[in-house]
Amino acid sequence: MPVNGTRGYHSGLVDLASGLISREIFVNDEIYAQEQERVFARSWLFVGHESQIPNPGDFFASRMGEESVILCRDRRGSVHVFLNSCRHRGMKVCRYDDGNTTVFTCPYHGWSYGTDGALVGVPFFREAYHSELDKSKYGLIEVAQLCCYKGTVWACWDASAPPFLEHLGEFRRFLDLMLDGWDGREGQAELLGGVQKWIIPCNWKWPAENFSGDTYHNISHRSVDLVGAGPSGRSRRDYGELNVARRLHVSLPDRGHQTITYVLPRDYQPQAAYQNSPEVAEYFRHCEEERRRRPGENSRMIGAPGEIFPNVALLPRQPRTLAVWHPVNAHQTEVWRFFFVDRDAPRSVKNFLRDYYIRYSGPAGMTEQDDMENWNYAHAASRGVIARRYPYTYEMGMGHVVEDFEFEGLRMPGRVVDLTKAMASEEPMRNLYRRWAQFMEAESWDDLMTWRRDAPREAKAAE
Amino acid sequence: MSGIINVRELAIGTRVVLSSGAEVEIVGNPGDGVWLFGRSLASNGDPGVGGEEEMIFAQDVVEVRS
Repeated sequence: MPVNGTRGYHSGLVDLASGLISREIFVNDEIYAQEQERVFARSWLFVGHESQIPNPGDFFASRMGEESVILCRDRRGSVHVFLNSCRHRGMKVCRYDDGNTTVFTCPYHGWSYGTDGALVGVPFFREAYHSELDKSKYGLIEVAQLCCYKGTVWACWDASAPPFLEHLGEFRRFLDLMLDGWDGREGQAELLGGVQKWIIPCNWKWPAENFSGDTYHNISHRSVDLVGAGPSGRSRRDYGELNVARRLHVSLPDRGHQTITYVLPRDYQPQAAYQNSPEVAEYFRHCEEERRRRPGENSRMIGAPGEIFPNVALLPRQPRTLAVWHPVNAHQTEVWRFFFVDRDAPRSVKNFLRDYYIRYSGPAGMTEQDDMENWNYAHAASRGVIARRYPYTYEMGMGHVVEDFEFEGLRMPGRVVDLTKAMASEEPMRNLYRRWAQFMEAESWDDLMTWRRDAPREAKAAE
Repeated sequence: MSGIINVRELAIGTRVVLSSGAEVEIVGNPGDGVWLFGRSLASNGDPGVGGEEEMIFAQDVVEVRS
């Protein structure tokens, strides 16, 4: 079905004034194709974790949008991200999931590249090319920008995009909740085991929306709550402290990142958790105690599901995982889920968490498989010509957001909805689609970096 | 047996002869079945050549000496 050219993304298909969003943005193949250029080719995307490539020559085959890429560490120890496609005829030069190598050799005609991306081997270079091919012109295509942040590796194809940390903005503190140690030390997270990968039959924005902070769908998880898959054999998680915390939606409108977060009272004392193992319980009790001793605001914050625009989901607390929603086509998404632990945690703690993470997450996990039922069938039921006529409503909580939110001295950035009483809101979803529409309409990053335009005005107002 | 040399099996230190007549000692093998890293020892065409490291394409290896 062709897109109606008279309806812009921002004012038509994503109508935030009325809270209505067209189903077309989920099911239309033409819109999906435009997304690849306007969203994925311009955004910062998660590629992997440095603990996957600790040694020179280590590599991990990753993805950026639809593209296959290679995350690798060269002989000198530098980290690179390359398009996994030979410059001669485009064949993948790396067909393993991970490993260690001195060269990436194309199996088609034999062109070979060093781990720094340089074209080093061309069969019959002297005989067939008469030594005339300029090898320096045909190295592997490297991303325009790369950022290693507390072990995580992010990359971007667009040289005009802002640096990663500027793109993250004040959302950095929420990412830190996952990447710092449970005891509050900086950057202690490491990957646990391999990456779970599976394909689901729905558009990538379904899980992106869900992880933006959809607390409204908790009824879907009622059955697993009853089973008690959590680390103490109750519910899905140990969140006893939430009874005294303020539960918030935090959305950064100029960035498109949003999350649920919990803010504890100043005098809060940690609750018992991980009661299925005394050793694990003691480890986390100790970490919680240490965390509260450290200066900084994050010791009073508890991470919860959130989304970094466009397709990275965080679950900083339980289970501590990061997911990437890789688009395959308008109707398919390949999910990659990475699991994290503190690198200094005892082996017994890591083993306990592995069991819990697997029990919770992924295609066989008790919580995630029920989510997928919703996304899969909602997508399928929205593809028909009749269904497409009727937009989804995102009206919940419109006009009830707060800026400059503060709770007992702890300030929150962006737009906040206090869910402690409201229970749910759709502000995070509106925030996601507002940013998505901006990307779909903007001609360049100049149009997208609104904070740079606003900064001089704000500075002048503050004078 | 096909008689084709399986370069994946060539250990470091093995000496091979290339189609150009040059003799090369293997100094690295990425195991991809396509390339080897070698140090040239001598060349029929140019006896002065020797000691340079180069990448060797599998189809250029015509004989295994040791």
